[in-house]
Amino acid sequence: MTLAVRDLTIRFGGVTAVANMSLDVGAREIVGLIGPNGAGKTTFINCIAGVNRSVAGSAVWGGREILGLSPAALLRLGVARTFQSVVSLHDLTVLDVVKLGAAAHARRRSGFIAQFFGSERTFEDELCESLLKPLNLADVARSPIQTLSYGQRKSVDLARALAAEPQMLYLDEPVAGLTYQEGLNMGAVIRSVRDRFGCSVIMVEHKMDVVMATCDRITVMAHGSRIFEGTPAEVQTDQEVRRVYLGDA
Amino acid sequence: MTTRTVLIAAALAVAVALVGYEANRFWAYLIYAVAISSIGAMSLNLLIGFCGQITFAQGALIGVGAYTAGNLGNAGWGALSLLGAGLCGALASALIGLPALRLRGLYFAISTLAAQFIFSYLFKILQPLTNGVSGLVVKPLVLFGRPVASDQEYAVISIVLLFLSWLFLSRLAQTDVGRALLVIRESELVARGMGIDVSRTKMKAFLVSGFFAGLCGGLLAFTSRFANPEAFEIGLSVDQTAMIIVGGLGSLAGSVIGAVFVTLLPEAIQRLGELMPSADLVSAFREMAFGVLIILFLLLEPRGLVSLGQRLRSRWSGSKSNAGTAVTIPLRDRSRTFAMPAFNRRKV
Repeated sequence: MTLAVRDLTIRFGGVTAVANMSLDVGAREIVGLIGPNGAGKTTFINCIAGVNRSVAGSAVWGGREILGLSPAALLRLGVARTFQSVVSLHDLTVLDVVKLGAAAHARRRSGFIAQFFGSERTFEDELCESLLKPLNLADVARSPIQTLSYGQRKSVDLARALAAEPQMLYLDEPVAGLTYQEGLNMGAVIRSVRDRFGCSVIMVEHKMDVVMATCDRITVMAHGSRIFEGTPAEVQTDQEVRRVYLGDA
Repeated sequence: MTTRTVLIAAALAVAVALVGYEANRFWAYLIYAVAISSIGAMSLNLLIGFCGQITFAQGALIGVGAYTAGNLGNAGWGALSLLGAGLCGALASALIGLPALRLRGLYFAISTLAAQFIFSYLFKILQPLTNGVSGLVVKPLVLFGRPVASDQEYAVISIVLLFLSWLFLSRLAQTDVGRALLVIRESELVARGMGIDVSRTKMKAFLVSGFFAGLCGGLLAFTSRFANPEAFEIGLSVDQTAMIIVGGLGSLAGSVIGAVFVTLLPEAIQRLGELMPSADLVSAFREMAFGVLIILFLLLEPRGLVSLGQRLRSRWSGSKSNAGTAVTIPLRDRSRTFAMPAFNRRKV
């Protein structure tokens, strides 16, 4: 399935945060979305994730218009996302959060009655094996979120999104706040996730080494619209991108 | 909730029920009073402690349950009148919860306060159903074809219903619905972003909470054989809130512990007062005790007696304790975190 966003415009009062932004994501493709602060990257992601409203444009995912759908409806269509800053959900354990992610996916989840009366042991073991182990979370599966480090919480957020078995994954700054090594690991994890689940990925990120190593294609945003698109190698040599990031020389 | 927890709770319930059955009337009264308050406190904790919806209309819901059970019982519905009380409580609770779909936090709390006063007024003026200010006389509960007359039997019935309610609510907490409630408490924005249908989940919480509040009211009507408007005013809501704050917000066991504490405290003060020369002083002290208690708990132990117990246990067991039970975040710290959800801190 592919995603095609056309001429998306988002305004907050008089401020145009995103103007005529277009983006295509092919099946099993990892697209990096980069740009200076205030370029509108997160606003763009929030909009196609059903959080912000757009004033114009369209976003077609697998033949269906998805603008205006709620996050819950998007999850049912296989579109999941992670958040830039993770909140600590104090009393919930890692498994609780991941199960909530899986809850969005009806096929994977037993009904209320079955949950009410049955034991979830086998389901928990399955989640541990398929999701938590690859993300190095198996040891803390039953720990409350508040006892985890920031990096681990980021991984939990990713595990939660993956538990819904998405076909399209939006990652909002998955590496921000992580150490250099954690960041590189996360990049590798994202590629392995794509290979294992066969999903497409849109990744907003500032850390260039991770972006260059992870993405198949990179879109550069500035002032709310796309200014460049190409492979990582092309982006590094483009004059316009350099100007936007570094100013006129 | 493990099988071991259920077995311990069941054993405890059987033991207390046996004591209640064998004890004298006064002890039987204490047991059913605590059990009935516990059901109400658990239902309130589901809304405030689990779902984060602060409500002051608990007294009104218990009243709805009491009048429903009273009228149905008098009409000869038997045990079904308790079910009816629960269902009417659920219905009233859903009605009171409707503003929560649009209002948050303090604004919603104020709307429930208004609801509490409206219901108090309705109890007074709906003469045919409530018999107004003079109160509704309730016939004894008819169970298996015979009326339940003794306090000892009510103690057993209340304990059994408390156990079943606890079983239901603690199972509910371990389903997706229960987990979703906790996320909504921390941040509605995050819950929405995670794909949780916030409005529907809140409504479910109101329905379930209202059912058990109604059940609590029904039992209250049958045990006191009387339902009058003064019993279901804001004071009852305050008592119930005191129970969950003292016991522990977001903990079912805490609700029961809080109910024990808050129900037995006046009795203890009464005993203490009988030793003192001045009776006026004692009654004044009784009024004050609740307020002082709530303030002290909010300041010193915001997560209630349950977290106090957990801390003591982890200290005793030393290195054996796991990190999970040892860490308790005071509520005041948490309120700071969830006043500022992830979305607001975003830099674009």
